[in-house]
Amino acid sequence: MTPADTLRFATRAASGYPLRTALMVLAMSIGVAAVVVLTALGDGARRYVVNEFSALGSNLVIVLPGRTATGGFGLGNLVTSTPRDLTVRDAQALLRAPLVTRMAPLSVGNSEIAWGGRLREAMVVGTSGDYVDIRAFRMAEGSFLPREDLGRATAVAVLGTKIRDEIFGSEPAIGRIVRVGDRRLRVIGVLAKTGQGLGMNTDELVFLPVATAQAMFNTNNLFRIIVEARSREAIGPAKQQLEQIMRLRRDGELDVTLITQDAVLGTFDRILGALTLAVAGIAAISLAVAGILVMNVMLVAVTQRTAEIGLLKALGATGRNIRLAFLTEAALLSLAGAITGFALGHLGAWGLRLAFPVLPAWPPDWAVFAGIGTALTTGILFGVMPARRASRLDPVQALSRR
Amino acid sequence: MSLHDFLQLALRSLLAHRLRSFLTLLGIGVGIAAVILLTSIGEGLHRFVLNEFTQFGTNIIEVTPGRQGARGGPPGLPSTARQLTLDDALALERVPHVTAVTPIVWGNSDVEGAGRVRRTSVYGVGPEMQRIFSMHVRVGRFLPPDDPNGARAFVVLGAKLKHELFGNANALGERLRIGGERYRVIGVMEEKGQFLGVDLDDTAYIPTSRALSLYNREGLIEINVTYEEAVPASRVTPGIRKVLVARHGQDDVTLTTQEDMLARLSNILGILTAAVGALGGISLLVGAVGIVTIMTIAVTERTNEIGLLVALGARRATILRLFLAEAVALAAIGGVFGLLVGSAIAQFVGLLVPALPVHTPWHFVAAAESTAVVIGLLAGVLPAIRAARLDAVEALRAE
Repeated sequence: MTPADTLRFATRAASGYPLRTALMVLAMSIGVAAVVVLTALGDGARRYVVNEFSALGSNLVIVLPGRTATGGFGLGNLVTSTPRDLTVRDAQALLRAPLVTRMAPLSVGNSEIAWGGRLREAMVVGTSGDYVDIRAFRMAEGSFLPREDLGRATAVAVLGTKIRDEIFGSEPAIGRIVRVGDRRLRVIGVLAKTGQGLGMNTDELVFLPVATAQAMFNTNNLFRIIVEARSREAIGPAKQQLEQIMRLRRDGELDVTLITQDAVLGTFDRILGALTLAVAGIAAISLAVAGILVMNVMLVAVTQRTAEIGLLKALGATGRNIRLAFLTEAALLSLAGAITGFALGHLGAWGLRLAFPVLPAWPPDWAVFAGIGTALTTGILFGVMPARRASRLDPVQALSRR
Repeated sequence: MSLHDFLQLALRSLLAHRLRSFLTLLGIGVGIAAVILLTSIGEGLHRFVLNEFTQFGTNIIEVTPGRQGARGGPPGLPSTARQLTLDDALALERVPHVTAVTPIVWGNSDVEGAGRVRRTSVYGVGPEMQRIFSMHVRVGRFLPPDDPNGARAFVVLGAKLKHELFGNANALGERLRIGGERYRVIGVMEEKGQFLGVDLDDTAYIPTSRALSLYNREGLIEINVTYEEAVPASRVTPGIRKVLVARHGQDDVTLTTQEDMLARLSNILGILTAAVGALGGISLLVGAVGIVTIMTIAVTERTNEIGLLVALGARRATILRLFLAEAVALAAIGGVFGLLVGSAIAQFVGLLVPALPVHTPWHFVAAAESTAVVIGLLAGVLPAIRAARLDAVEALRAE
């Protein structure tokens, strides 16, 4: 039999039973579509988190007070105090590292903001003028905190858009005096809308000069220091320089924790990548089920077409020809299923993107190839047994059967 | 047709095509097994997390400064314009139903003892802390009920910290230096293990007032309150809120009851388990398509058998039921098969990875098995209707 004959035999067999063929293609395509959609979801989540982190700014090293010698990095390190505070002077000293371009100290707390009879609880962030550049925020009105000596407690405040809207409504905010905690501060700027970011909604924050915030919270210590390195490559060496500076300031003892954005990103990347893989693996189980179905139906086909096979053999077709014909049929079915599933999956991913515009739900290339590849492999693999059974049929018996 | 004949016919047709029936069963079985395995892992995780949380007792209310609704930020920020003080904690002891109160401050400092230094978490707590969090002292005793504002410089060590500093030697009565101040060891805690990645044994407990001065703070990080077992949290929280409002002049604290937290957690984890189960359900769907396919083939193949039955006077409803029964039997047997395999693998995974708790939730098992039967019914309907509609004469002539 020529390849064209084999192909004709297979396609005719498939189109001879349209309902059966449609059902098999459906089964295969459900499996492939599931893999494509789920990996799109997983990878979308990964990209979303990575984007969020990149939106924090680039090339950042974050300095936290406290260090645990044994436990490594734990939840306890995130909010903690040490006998030796992380101070504004420490923050200024960090600027001496040659690979560091900018730095912003952060002193964070809850307080309330009031104006004209309206009062809101808000998160207050004491920081410096460089913070706006490090985080790449834009201003809607006015200007950000002044670049001045960090020890000066200037009585000014910068508001997030949402806070501004809730306190001032449609009235102008710039130049007004608001009460924050026990202080009276002049509003000098409003940040442009940025929206939700990892656990913090910048639209609901109130920014003060760090010294003002520290005086309000009656504290000397900082919550974090955010340091920006000169370039991406400089993050590692910059971290070492920063550690060196902190060690010198603390009599040789390093009691702060430095985390780089890359390390945090890498961790998230790995976790979410593994999750995507696991979910894809679970979806792939359905491909195995689809494979079993293909095998089942092919076996039935062999039984039904015994006479036809007998005739072919009597006409001189070898066992190999028959085997090839049945395998081709299985492969064609799987291929059709895989292509349909691929299309369905992309449709699903498109639906996801429509429903959740923030989620960049694109299926990764590897998943598409793996999905289609697995579909084809299972289809052909499960086609082997029926094909062998067909090729082994005795022509005389096969013909006489019917 | 009698029930006996009915069953016999359905079973015989299954047995007549043993390989085909087996493969269909396998399809459904793999689907069910996937659902069972995944929900077992999900449910195990669920229980594990709830256990982790309830090991401290369930009747705890956490009082934190600042009202939640200080929106825009995560909870537990270090500073607030509204401090909770030691006196606030003392005042809470008089609230009805409250059994114990502990003011808490924590930080991170060097602990020096027996010539060794470890940097570790230091908790400033009240004498009631161990009772509130159901922790136990192994040797010695816990912090004594001193005057809260002038407590003596005693320290109780976590099991791991004690071991790191003193090894197997006796630590009781030894002197320690924490952040430059001298403390005397009066107790060592029992091991408590890890909680959400934080080692609870690598700690030192000192009186709250000393921790406040050590960390140069005015306010507490939180106050933990326990109340009588039989009383619901909703009857205790208003009392606490009233006392604090009276003291602060306004409502500026957040109360979190353990009940709320557990309920919220349980909700999230339940959704997770269901989602994972649904994921496994995709393969069940594929298995269903398998049943439809095989039943369709069966109807075509057995056209003349059906014709004969109709000619002999069998009613259409009987034929419909016959094919439905076959489909349901396939699905149900496949389901049982999948249940066995799924829970066996789950147990095996549990043995292999002891860190991953596995628990097969029986309501999910029941749900999966009934899903299988329903799938069988649904998948059988189409072919069964087709079979029942066949014209007797045509069907007999078909072969």
